[in-house]
Amino acid sequence: MKTVIKAENLQKIYKMGDNLVKAVDGVSLNVFEGEYLVIMGPSGSGKSTLMHLMGCLDKPTAGEIYIGDVAVSKLNDAQLARVRSKMIGFVFQQFNLLPRLTALENVELPMIYAKVPRETRKKRAKELLTLVGLQDRMHHRPTQLSGGQMQRVAIARALANEPQIILADEPTGNLDSKSGEEVLKIFSELHDRGLTIIVVTHDPEIAELGERVIHMRDGRIVSQEVRASVGNV
Amino acid sequence: MFKEAFKSIAANKLRTTLSMIGIIIGVAAVIAVVSVAEGTSQSIKQQLSTIGSNLILISPGFARGGGGRVSTAFSDLLTKEDAERIAQMSPSLAYVTPIQQGNFIVQYERQNTMSTVLAAYSAIFKMMNLNLFDGDYFTEEDEIARRRVAIIGKEIASELFPNGDAVGKTIRITSQNTRQNFKIIGVLEKSGNLLFLNPDRSIIIPFSSAEQRVFRRSYVSSIVAQAQSEQLAAQAVTEIDAVLYSKFQDTERYRIVSQDAMLQTINQTMALLSFMLGSIAGISLLVGGIGIMNIMLVTVTERTREIGVRKAVGASRRHILLQFLLESIILTLVAGIIGVGVGLALSRAIALVGSIQTAVTPLVIIIAVSVSIAVGVTFGVFPAMKAAKLNPVEALRYE
Repeated sequence: MKTVIKAENLQKIYKMGDNLVKAVDGVSLNVFEGEYLVIMGPSGSGKSTLMHLMGCLDKPTAGEIYIGDVAVSKLNDAQLARVRSKMIGFVFQQFNLLPRLTALENVELPMIYAKVPRETRKKRAKELLTLVGLQDRMHHRPTQLSGGQMQRVAIARALANEPQIILADEPTGNLDSKSGEEVLKIFSELHDRGLTIIVVTHDPEIAELGERVIHMRDGRIVSQEVRASVGNV
Repeated sequence: MFKEAFKSIAANKLRTTLSMIGIIIGVAAVIAVVSVAEGTSQSIKQQLSTIGSNLILISPGFARGGGGRVSTAFSDLLTKEDAERIAQMSPSLAYVTPIQQGNFIVQYERQNTMSTVLAAYSAIFKMMNLNLFDGDYFTEEDEIARRRVAIIGKEIASELFPNGDAVGKTIRITSQNTRQNFKIIGVLEKSGNLLFLNPDRSIIIPFSSAEQRVFRRSYVSSIVAQAQSEQLAAQAVTEIDAVLYSKFQDTERYRIVSQDAMLQTINQTMALLSFMLGSIAGISLLVGGIGIMNIMLVTVTERTREIGVRKAVGASRRHILLQFLLESIILTLVAGIIGVGVGLALSRAIALVGSIQTAVTPLVIIIAVSVSIAVGVTFGVFPAMKAAKLNPVEALRYE
């Protein structure tokens, strides 16, 4: 099994006032290609921080992360941006769509930074919105969409540059159960197509869907259960 | 990228407009001020080129106004003989004429008007490039014979002779203690103001005819000389100075100003004036720039989360920097263009209301627009850098 993300003894320490907070404290983890990984834990367990580190949004205080074969600490800002652009798609609890842009423009945004030509960009953005079932909502702004629709736009955006990995932070946290189920269904479909899915959540129901579930507490991995055979940690 | 920048700017119309006002005022003020200075200097240069070249004006010096008296020009220093001596002693000169100048009431039948009466040798027409509209110049013979003949300006002619038949008529020049009849033999073309003289409102008569009859004094108002060539102008000034110094033994008692020197003085004055006024206008640009910086900082803070999202989907620091820089540049560029428009309108209005010439050169517009862009870059770079350096995780958490 090929490893897409490898974390080695990761540490992330924040300074909160006078206190040092060890958000992630010595985490080692392999994520395999095509795996559906769920990271669970109570709030403050460091799971979101771990996700940010794996998504190259933040740099660890100590330890190393490899995306594919590339050591993240060796990358400069522009190279990190390229990794985020090409390899990783983010889905957030707050959707994080840009309010002034239409659904279509939001999906186009990552492709603008990846320098995809205009025509290809438009075509692909339309395809992706169709894929998530929003073909008749393309020119709506986020305020004109429901939560479930916004999250589906966000997923389409995450898929824009054909990343290997989808990182989702509480993707259903702000949704009613029906919309949540729709979103999770899309994740399963993407997983079936071979994408690596990493979901951070505290919802045990979502954990049911994962092939492997990791439990975190106080910045450490406390346990993991493997539900399908995907190799070893 | 441009489209997005425009969108963001357009999203806050009121705020955008207010923040642009400083730049608009600054640019408009610069354009207007420079157009006035440029126009004035152009019109003076135009006059100087019309008036005939290489002229040298010799006038009496100023008496020092000691003891509360205002300093006034000596009126009893230069004489016709000085003019003659200068003509003899200065080989670099082509022509020299003494000038008597004064304001008189001029009368024809029942019509009368105020006019400048200028008494000079016949060379004055050649020296000052005065062209005839009708009739003839007076000649040296008229001068020698002290004939009572006059050449009148176009405006005086049309006031006294609305039917346009001035030549051949006799006018009366009147002052407190004199009334003299002169026959009109020529009318000058319209020329506009020529520095110290407005020929359109003047009557020119032979010096000898006027000397005792009209002015009744033996001192002259000034002496005008013309050098043979541009190269000889400086030499001529030295020669004239030698003649006058040998008479007065005091450089305070006479002044010699060449056309070249006049031009230089005017250019210097105008350059200084435009620089000073331009600097004041420049302060407005500075203040406007600070306003832009302020608004961009607010924008960056407001859009912290947006910046985080953009970074998460693949924007590098450079992308964010360019985006915000582009926004501030577009802001100042648009303000600059509006400012140029307002400045042009202002300069037109000044020309109409103040009846002075204004001129806007393309260079001024190019400079104004470039300065606007420079202001956008200068004051946009700090907020844009602030935006680019935001940590994506913290930016995403920002509420």
